[in-house]
Amino acid sequence: MALVGRDVTMVGGLAKVTGAVNYAPDLQFPRMLYAKALRSPYPHANILRIDTAKAEKLPGVVAVITQDDLHGLNPYFGPVVDDQPVVATERVRHVGEVVALVAGESREIAEEAVGLIEIDYEELPAVFDILEAIKPDAPVLHAQRKETTAGVHREEFNFQVGGNVCSVYHVEDGDIKKGFLEADEIIENTYTLPPVQHGHIEPHAATAYWEPSGKLVLHTATQNPSGIQEQLAQIFKLPENQVRVIVPLVGGGYGGKTHARLEPALALLARKARRPVQWVLTRDEVFLTGRRYGALVKIKTGFKRDGRILARQVEAFYEIGAYALNGPVNAKTGCYVSSGPYNIPNRSLTTYSVYTNLPPTGPFRGVGVSHVCWAYESEMDDIARRLNVDPVELRLKHLVRERDIFVTGEELISVGVTDCLCRTAEAIGWKGKEEQAVPPEKKNLLRGKGLAVAIKSTTTPTTSSASVRLNADGSAVLLTSSVEIGQGLLTSMAQIVGEELGLPFERVTVSSPDTDVTPYDKSTSSSRTTFHMGQAAQQAARDVKNQLLDVAAKKLEARIEDLELRDGSVSVRGVPDKKMSIAEIFRTRFGSTVGSMFGGYCFKTAGGLDPETGKGKAAAFWFFSACGAEVEVDVETGKVRVLKAVTAADAGHAIHPKQCGLQNEGSLLSGMGSALFEEMVYDNGQPINSNFLEYMLPSLEDHPQEFQSILVETPHPDGPFGAKGVGEAALPPVAPAIGNAIANALGGVRIRDLPIKPDKLVAALQAEKENR
Amino acid sequence: MKINISTTLNDRTLEVSVYPNQTLLEFLRDDLCLKGSVEGCGVGVCGSCTVLVDNRPVSSCLMLATDAAGKRITTIEGLGRNGALDPVQEAFLKHQAFQCGYCTPGMIMAVKGLLLNNPHPTESQARDYLSGNLCRCGTYVEVLAAVQELAGR
Repeated sequence: MALVGRDVTMVGGLAKVTGAVNYAPDLQFPRMLYAKALRSPYPHANILRIDTAKAEKLPGVVAVITQDDLHGLNPYFGPVVDDQPVVATERVRHVGEVVALVAGESREIAEEAVGLIEIDYEELPAVFDILEAIKPDAPVLHAQRKETTAGVHREEFNFQVGGNVCSVYHVEDGDIKKGFLEADEIIENTYTLPPVQHGHIEPHAATAYWEPSGKLVLHTATQNPSGIQEQLAQIFKLPENQVRVIVPLVGGGYGGKTHARLEPALALLARKARRPVQWVLTRDEVFLTGRRYGALVKIKTGFKRDGRILARQVEAFYEIGAYALNGPVNAKTGCYVSSGPYNIPNRSLTTYSVYTNLPPTGPFRGVGVSHVCWAYESEMDDIARRLNVDPVELRLKHLVRERDIFVTGEELISVGVTDCLCRTAEAIGWKGKEEQAVPPEKKNLLRGKGLAVAIKSTTTPTTSSASVRLNADGSAVLLTSSVEIGQGLLTSMAQIVGEELGLPFERVTVSSPDTDVTPYDKSTSSSRTTFHMGQAAQQAARDVKNQLLDVAAKKLEARIEDLELRDGSVSVRGVPDKKMSIAEIFRTRFGSTVGSMFGGYCFKTAGGLDPETGKGKAAAFWFFSACGAEVEVDVETGKVRVLKAVTAADAGHAIHPKQCGLQNEGSLLSGMGSALFEEMVYDNGQPINSNFLEYMLPSLEDHPQEFQSILVETPHPDGPFGAKGVGEAALPPVAPAIGNAIANALGGVRIRDLPIKPDKLVAALQAEKENR
Repeated sequence: MKINISTTLNDRTLEVSVYPNQTLLEFLRDDLCLKGSVEGCGVGVCGSCTVLVDNRPVSSCLMLATDAAGKRITTIEGLGRNGALDPVQEAFLKHQAFQCGYCTPGMIMAVKGLLLNNPHPTESQARDYLSGNLCRCGTYVEVLAAVQELAGR
């Protein structure tokens, strides 16, 4: 192929290396005001009184909004349940919740005004720990949930009423009791993961204004323009065409910009101020606005001495913070993959999403899967050690293959996991069973290698639509609401459209999202863009192509099957002088060489699960991946260095191999951070490390000396040119691969609570010594 | 009360008034509309606001604008000459050393500072020098490759 599969020059690079990109915090509008939030200092409290009089009198303050400004609106919103107020109403449920928002002529004025707002709170008992939150006597965050699931607008997640358990998901197969009875050995452990930050260097940022006609315009750094449009239309009771969402290039998302965060309150403030208002969060506010769920995962596995795994039971609790956001989606997505990409005859898998008085969470690269993968892949190595077999062999014996039936009851298609594992093992220099040997005594620096694999679904069913506009000069634009967040869709989508239309790469451009112009897309999340938008783009281009061929066939008196479209002309195969340029086709069809030819396509995936049984079709396509790591552990200090890392993902068919490799590299780094040091820490609900000094992101000093990205290609029949997504694929196996490498360096000493910080390792080694 | 200073910005001498509590980053972004330097952390850790001050990389979010008096400041907008890119920018393009691009101007200024002070850094010197520039997309291998090429290694 001319374009697909090639590392063409990444679009937008020139603007990025010259600092010319206008990101959301860079935008400026005439008469623009600046927003600043007053945030709750308490994790749980009733609001008794708000007095904004002094703030409103401060010169330069244009508007202040509080709960008193919500009349006439639908004041609650959320992606699956409307439990989040536009601004706090009567009660605050986490430290940092927005109670009031001020618009001022400058950032300084807005900030000063925030300090002049008087609020009386009545503190309430709060709950932060997952297991405490599910106790019957725990303080309940959402009182109305005691009796009703009102506000739930997506029923497929099994919402609960009563306490703080927001949703429960369950799926099983075989007979779990029988499986454990027949097992020779059973191992059972609990794994935990703390909340972590997405770490997009660009903070959340948006600008809102209202046109005199009553139309809302939002420029926002979001991964989800169509979703923001939908939610704002619902809050303000407007038709969707009265909400225009425009998205500039986004400075990183990783899931953190998937749902409405700033937009509802900002839109309300701008309406009151009657001027454009911009809201850019500071870094500590980003920490109060979104994060990855913390989790506790209980896993129990029964196996025979001959190495057959017979039964696996998983119970995972996701701590979702004060509002649901996509917590229930996360619990569902984690549930059915919680026994791993393995054939195990008897399984019982249950996940819970649980409210706590901590700041809200949201999707995070590897949504829900990293948590359970940390548990099941650590457990696989422990089983291999118990059986004294090679952990790779143990995995190969159980890995799912093409057309195997998964726990959801569906047939798995495009299953590259065996290749991912084998090629990773080879690249990391895996020697087999001896990698688990007990290390020699009396060495301070011990080395070990570890491996892990993962399976993940993409959100299903969903819809992506695209439109291709062909100009008479043979240049084309793809109109899409998918968001460029660094993954490179401006490049890969141009490759797909160019390939289909036989146009040179430079003749195709891809729009930025503008919901007045670009058609609906579910969201730029779940690593779904290449597959879904890629398919929509290809079909939209094919629609244009068919129109061109139609005109040419008549004019050239040839059959459509004999025509080919290449380099801006349609010609009859084998008769090179029987051809028409695109301009000539335009003239024939429109009588002129100006005009536009449109093609469109709406791609909808089929599937979905029965919430009662957990059976059905979970994924339009499945991600498979592997990670291999070699570490050096200092047994005196507990310090771990990753010397070498390999990540492999099944890309289906890589549209742009270099960009896929960059996704693998990003996944590795994020996974390394959460494996070894990233952790958001709270003291009674107060965040205590909400800055990049005390919450470290991996830097060049942490990056392994050797890194290799592997792309396995198992074409998917429904993907554009066979492609699947890769964005998140490689993240989940990183932490368990590192954990397994550490365990192998230390003769089986295992840390089950992330991150694996030096103090935990030193304590574990000490305990091991005492037990001996 | 504003303070009058004289500074050289991207090879042009400027006589400007700045607030005593204004950071260099705020001055660049708010007063001069130079938006290439961006704020990521506000505490001098992420490196996204890196500019050169007398050819040394500095986090402009931590430097007061008044301290630019008498100094030579170079921002991403001042790299390259007569429409041509600086070799560092060329190398970043060639090695695709960016993804979302938000940290890229700061990273490029840090690399520029590294090479001005040490034209032939080893890989380990480069890692050390650039460890104050965070890229969450994870494009470090490509940044290193760009530096190694520029260093003639």
